[in-house]
Amino acid sequence: MVRTNKKGQLKLQQMIFMIVAVTLLFSIVGLFFVSLALSGIKEDAIMLEEKNAMLLVTKLANSPEFSCGDSFGGTRINCLDLDKAMALKENIAKYSNFWGVSTIEIRKIYPAERETICENSNYPDCNVLKLFSKEQNGFSISNFVALCRKESNNGQIYDKCELGKIIVSYEKKK
Amino acid sequence: MKRGKKGFLDMPFSWLFAIIAGIVIISLAIYISSKIINTGDTKINAQTGKEIGILLNPLETGVESSKSVSFTLPVETRIYSKCNKDGAFGKQIIQIEQKSFNKWTETDIDVSFSNKYIFSEEYIEGKEFFVFSKPFIFPFKVADLIYLTSADKKYCFIDAPEDIKDEISSVGQKNLFAENCLDIDGYVRVCFSNDLNCDIDVDYNLKKVTKNHITVYFQEDALMYAAIFGDSEVYECQVKRLMQRVSNLALVYKDKTDIIHPVGCDSNINLVGLSTSAKVISSSSNLKSLEHVINDIKNENDMLMCRLW
Repeated sequence: MVRTNKKGQLKLQQMIFMIVAVTLLFSIVGLFFVSLALSGIKEDAIMLEEKNAMLLVTKLANSPEFSCGDSFGGTRINCLDLDKAMALKENIAKYSNFWGVSTIEIRKIYPAERETICENSNYPDCNVLKLFSKEQNGFSISNFVALCRKESNNGQIYDKCELGKIIVSYEKKK
Repeated sequence: MKRGKKGFLDMPFSWLFAIIAGIVIISLAIYISSKIINTGDTKINAQTGKEIGILLNPLETGVESSKSVSFTLPVETRIYSKCNKDGAFGKQIIQIEQKSFNKWTETDIDVSFSNKYIFSEEYIEGKEFFVFSKPFIFPFKVADLIYLTSADKKYCFIDAPEDIKDEISSVGQKNLFAENCLDIDGYVRVCFSNDLNCDIDVDYNLKKVTKNHITVYFQEDALMYAAIFGDSEVYECQVKRLMQRVSNLALVYKDKTDIIHPVGCDSNINLVGLSTSAKVISSSSNLKSLEHVINDIKNENDMLMCRLW
């Protein structure tokens, strides 16, 4: 039978403790760096969404789903066809993730009136068109647009354009 | 054999244990740090992909071709443009690979956008890239198509019709030439006449583009450029996506006719028919079948007292 060396056993135990401690230290330092990197990813994602919102809102009125096209005499920039936007509201389910924003709201700002949400029953006697049923949260960015629609007076059809805002909002990443 | 005799290493067990444990710890540290570096690379790739997509937002324009814009990335980059036709509008996918320590960092992170249509080779490589866009009108504006090319690749348009030549000149993109490029080597030769020595053949009358022995079909100049600059497989997928958008937009315009009807604006355009026909288009070769429908609808809209678009 081989005799056990008590001094050697103690040294071995010391070494095992040391190794465990060093491994723990490495793990903690590693975890710290990983959490640091992950928090950076979240910040970057928020920053990118803000950038997307800013660039998108300036051009959203010119996208085919909103733009006036030639409906109101000649091509206009930042002109939003309110009749088309109202029609889009009917088909909005398909567009839920299309622009990558959580809500799009169109607001008539002049002339100033009491807030009335646009529905089929009260259009065009309303001033806020909410394209998604979600509530605005996170952050939102807006841009001024011309809101144009067809109107008639004594059987005479004419183009009516008013000053409005298009507002897009994003949910903050959790 | 005698027990207890020292081995040839003459090393105490504690040393041997320390060496093995040390190797394990160092290997673990190297593995973890390489994983962290890899995560960092993947993050940069994903971030670059998203940023490229976001920077393309301003290319959503009015009705004219936009001027060419360029962007430069700090390192050699490969931009993969992919397409997915699932869902109501499909998705444009961008994948980025960047050179790190002289090696391409592989990534499987997809950055996707539902409202973008990018046409480029399967992947384009370089530091500087050019982009220009053109609206696709079918018969209403459907989307702005984005053409993405590497500054390292130059295109020579041979015998192009005058309006195409003028458009290329007005875009002002440094890697597109419509004149004085016939005898220069290294250019991608885009021929509008039957020439044997061409990389891309465009038959402007039959509306087809042949590239790498694959023929795709187009309607409107916007799709012709898409076929020239885009990968054939991605092109077919994007055509399907565009038709999905035509189909949905047609229904929006249909509902608009109902909304403006009480004002006195009437129309009998068969937009539901257009929506149904566009939805079933499965390949660019079917686009031809819509040509007459599109022309009729365009003419009908032009005649309306209240134009729908």
